[in-house]
Amino acid sequence: MSKLPMTSVESIITHCAHWGYDEHQYFGYRVFEELVGHETLTGLTALSTLGRRLPSNELGVLDDAATALTLADPRIWPLKLTRTVASYGGSLAGISAGLLAQEDARIGPWAVQRSAELLARWQSAASAAGASLESTVGEYLATHPFVWGFGTPYRVRDERLVAFEQRIRLRERDGLTFWRLFQDVARIVHLTRKVPANMGMAVAAAFLDLGIRPEEMGVIVTALISHMFMANGVEGTQDAPAVLRCLPVSALRYTGCAPRQSPASRADCGSEQTGRAVTVTE
Amino acid sequence: MTSSSGPTGGPLETAKFPDQLLARVVTPGDEPRVHGYDVQSDLVHHYDLVALTILYLTGELPEPKAAAAVRAALVFISPISVAHASVHAAVLARLCGSPPSAVFGVAAVGVAEQSRFELDAFSDLFEWLKHPTREYPDAQRCTTDAQRQEAERLRRALPAGYELEILNHAPTCMALTLAILQQAGLRRREQFEAVLALARLPSALAEAFAERAVNFSDYPINLPPIEYRAPDVQTPNDQR
Repeated sequence: MSKLPMTSVESIITHCAHWGYDEHQYFGYRVFEELVGHETLTGLTALSTLGRRLPSNELGVLDDAATALTLADPRIWPLKLTRTVASYGGSLAGISAGLLAQEDARIGPWAVQRSAELLARWQSAASAAGASLESTVGEYLATHPFVWGFGTPYRVRDERLVAFEQRIRLRERDGLTFWRLFQDVARIVHLTRKVPANMGMAVAAAFLDLGIRPEEMGVIVTALISHMFMANGVEGTQDAPAVLRCLPVSALRYTGCAPRQSPASRADCGSEQTGRAVTVTE
Repeated sequence: MTSSSGPTGGPLETAKFPDQLLARVVTPGDEPRVHGYDVQSDLVHHYDLVALTILYLTGELPEPKAAAAVRAALVFISPISVAHASVHAAVLARLCGSPPSAVFGVAAVGVAEQSRFELDAFSDLFEWLKHPTREYPDAQRCTTDAQRQEAERLRRALPAGYELEILNHAPTCMALTLAILQQAGLRRREQFEAVLALARLPSALAEAFAERAVNFSDYPINLPPIEYRAPDVQTPNDQR
């Protein structure tokens, strides 16, 4: 049923890498000659996800974001997911599962990407003649109950944003276009909804000011937070707690359908018994 | 200065959360029930894995004819060859000498991605299935003899007396398959993606397990050819 193309095999062009004899290529750079001893892990992360190197002051913003984003409590949903899979003994299985669940999810790196898309859209609208930021954001709020980059569950403010904001000020990047736009939007949204901005919106603004495009945000932010998945994948494997591999019955509550007899079984014995939703605590 | 003092509390200690995990489909513990049906005393005597899959995903057992039609459709869509990226990736995992569970994981991700990707081309059909009195989408009709013959082979495999409105519109084999799944109770996109991926997983795994670990010399590493072209680079001033 899955049709195969009848065309000839075409070449794929890569800008990523080439394996040579004495030297390798990576995004236009000679690995041993130009990268070894000259580039950092954060720099490689930028080069790998953006296809370009960033100067060290801009890499510092990535480092600030990665460190301020370090909220690796194993109870947090994607990290707990990592732990549950790692509890069978495979660190990378847990880490891969956690990272896999990030793509296009409602929380995590793709929330930064959606926040960046909003900021970019509002920046374009604000640049257009005759439109005020208040009216542009107000129109959006009128039709969208949920706003990406806002909301701080279980606390009154996002402590990561507070720390990151300080670093942006110290780097004197708080006067840049998207950071100022973020501050203005945060004020408007807070006035209307009484909801504070979160770290996702701040990272989006700072990264837009680095020239990172919204569609590049999801992957680079995933790379910058991958250490938290590693931490939980590694410790989760070392611990491999039996209680995470299988919870005791007392920790579970069945809320599904009540016992019932299948139609085929009923036809066999001529009886009838139908199910209904129940809540049973075991 | 470093700090070794422990935390004094945080949002997850303060906020209220439930203390039990909800089970909504399978009863935990011995003698499991699926959506209320006893697996070991009832379902095992009357239903196969295809019917059980529909039950898991929809909450209801399919009618016998609908289950038979799904069985035929899933047999049709099950084989995917190594030409496809999902299977190719699983074979590569095997070549790397990865353990079977990792090969399984790669194959599962691959077929799930393939299903998602392929179903993107059927949004017009899903709309039509919700509103079958509307005009049938042309893109989901057979246009070649090979397509017509394939769809006819699936139609012949359906149980006698099995009726579907879509059969009046010369559907492609995949369009007919999706209509059969809908008739059996599937409604949500995620349910269709899951069934497609489940049907295809065995062929991806089998192709991978048929390969030998680290058999690199028999693997066509330059298929398809991948040509490196260095991008124009601008090295930041402080890294020259």
